[in-house]
Amino acid sequence: MAMIVYHSGNSLLHRLDPRVKMILLILYTMVVFGVKSFSILGILFALVLLLWKSAGLPLSRLKKYLAYLTGMIVFLIIIQSFFLPGNINLVKPIFPEGFPILPGRGFVSLKGIVMGVLLGFRLFVLIMLMPTFIMTTTVNEMAVGMVRMGLPYKIAYLATTSINMIPSLQDEATTIMEAQKMRGFSVFEEGRFREKMKAFPALVVPLVIGAMRRAQAMGVAMDARAFGAGKSRTYRLTLKMTGSDWAVFFLMVLLAALLMGGAFILDREVSLWNRL
Amino acid sequence: MEQTLTDADQAETITAVSIKNYSYSYPRREGRVLDGINLDIQRGELVALMGRNGAGKSTLCRSLIGVIPHSVGGTVWGEILINGLNTFSTSVASLAEHLGIVLDDPEAQLFTPMVDDEIAFGIENLCYPVEEIRESVEWAKEVVRLEGCGDREPSTLSGGQKQRLAIASALAPRPSILVLDEPTSQLDPVGTFEVFDVIYKLKTEHNMTIVISTHKSELIAEYADRIVVLHEGKVIGNGHPRAIFRNREIMKKASIHPPQVSMVADRLAEKGGVSFTEEDYPITRAELCDFLRKRGIRL
Ligand SMILES: Nc1ncnc2c1ncn2[C@@H]1O[C@H](COP(=O)(O)OP(=O)(O)OP(=O)(O)O)[C@@H](O)[C@H]1O
Ligand SMILES: [Mg+2]
Repeated sequence: MAMIVYHSGNSLLHRLDPRVKMILLILYTMVVFGVKSFSILGILFALVLLLWKSAGLPLSRLKKYLAYLTGMIVFLIIIQSFFLPGNINLVKPIFPEGFPILPGRGFVSLKGIVMGVLLGFRLFVLIMLMPTFIMTTTVNEMAVGMVRMGLPYKIAYLATTSINMIPSLQDEATTIMEAQKMRGFSVFEEGRFREKMKAFPALVVPLVIGAMRRAQAMGVAMDARAFGAGKSRTYRLTLKMTGSDWAVFFLMVLLAALLMGGAFILDREVSLWNRL
Repeated sequence: MEQTLTDADQAETITAVSIKNYSYSYPRREGRVLDGINLDIQRGELVALMGRNGAGKSTLCRSLIGVIPHSVGGTVWGEILINGLNTFSTSVASLAEHLGIVLDDPEAQLFTPMVDDEIAFGIENLCYPVEEIRESVEWAKEVVRLEGCGDREPSTLSGGQKQRLAIASALAPRPSILVLDEPTSQLDPVGTFEVFDVIYKLKTEHNMTIVISTHKSELIAEYADRIVVLHEGKVIGNGHPRAIFRNREIMKKASIHPPQVSMVADRLAEKGGVSFTEEDYPITRAELCDFLRKRGIRL
């Protein structure tokens, strides 16, 4: 079930300096958020897919992400089509004009559907983007990268140990569910959605208590090994920007700029469906 | 590689651990968990802490590195000196160069995703230069026999390997004292043997002072110089393993199982009319065989 774990390998993406990866991740996240054009999003999608392939990340994961996201995407489409006014409505407004709440809304607008699909697509590309960093960078590389970019090391470690705890939390959730199943509690296996929601605290409460206890024990263990001794610390891992790191960095920044420019030029495409 | 764990203090003849009238109570909890402890541990000694569950062994171990009270809080009476440094007025970080600890929670103490990073963690915090970090990591791996596991993920190691990794991580700053809190409680016999093998090597080859809390009487009889028995936060026994294992009263009060050999000896004394003196009461197999051979009994 583990969704975010380091996936070892020796690809270009694995070898790339973590700082470059971090900055590019932020940059491309902004690009994905800023783009309204389907064609550019399509190009971004293809690009990220290419990164997944080249880094040897398991493409089967993508199906799982899509499965997780389906509900969210459907929800986005419904909300958008209901409330985003457009020129073509498939259904007459449920709330008539002059109605005290949401006057004139509650239609199914074509524009809303398109917008919902766009937001869903965007979300999917965004979710795909994360693993290209998280699954190709060790927690230690992340920490050292963040510190080298000026973040205080305690914050960097807070962030990275949290990421590091995710797999063990997932294991623990599985263990709790197994233990509950053994006592005849099988809502999470075969229950309906509402039953699952009701039973949620039974899973979350022990999980949170366990996580807190573990975090506390880990804190003591870190203290016992001199964590927080000084304002700074040293690192076994040394980072050095190589020529290819710079090359990748500039190429990817250039590409991001081109995509943004392309999105600007393709503004006509956007205005086309904006007219719907 | 012959390398001894010398720090400046070790050259002097200060007591490694000196506990004076030490008491402690946890925050938000009534009562003293440790109560009036007096204990000196000499350089190079291997001391076993024994006692039933809840006796205060872990609390004492945590007090030695100073996380009690610095990280945990609570109220402290008396004092503990580690190589002459007062744990109350010295930071945990400074103490870590004198004393390494393996905590009782194996899950919580390995928190990095790679063996080498785990070992380096402590000395990185102490701002060792990169070259020295690499050297110390290699050295610590060699001591605990984890060479070749440097880029493994700790969670993929065997139980015995995990504990040896925890030991290596404590050893990296080359402290002169090592404290181990139940390092083999979750291990099978093979893993237990691997860990004790490393502990014995640290004592004999590196002249380290070692404090180990454990229930494994057989191994303690074999390796320890002294047993300290804790009961409800007080020291109720302090002496050579032979003297402690022979003392029925202490053993019963602290519900410690004596080594099997001693139980055989007790039966011999009871049913076979054999009598043992303070000196020849056997606690290891070799001793029992020796005793019997001297009496002309062959096994
Ligand atoms: N964090 C804590 N807060 C409050 N009380 C605690 C805490 N940790 C331990 N105690 C209590 O202190 C007492 C001594 O516990 P300690 O863990 O030191 O015993 P122990 O000898 O190590 O036992 P075990 O053999 O089970 O490990 C126990 O009564 C325990 O409940
Ligand atoms: Mg304990």
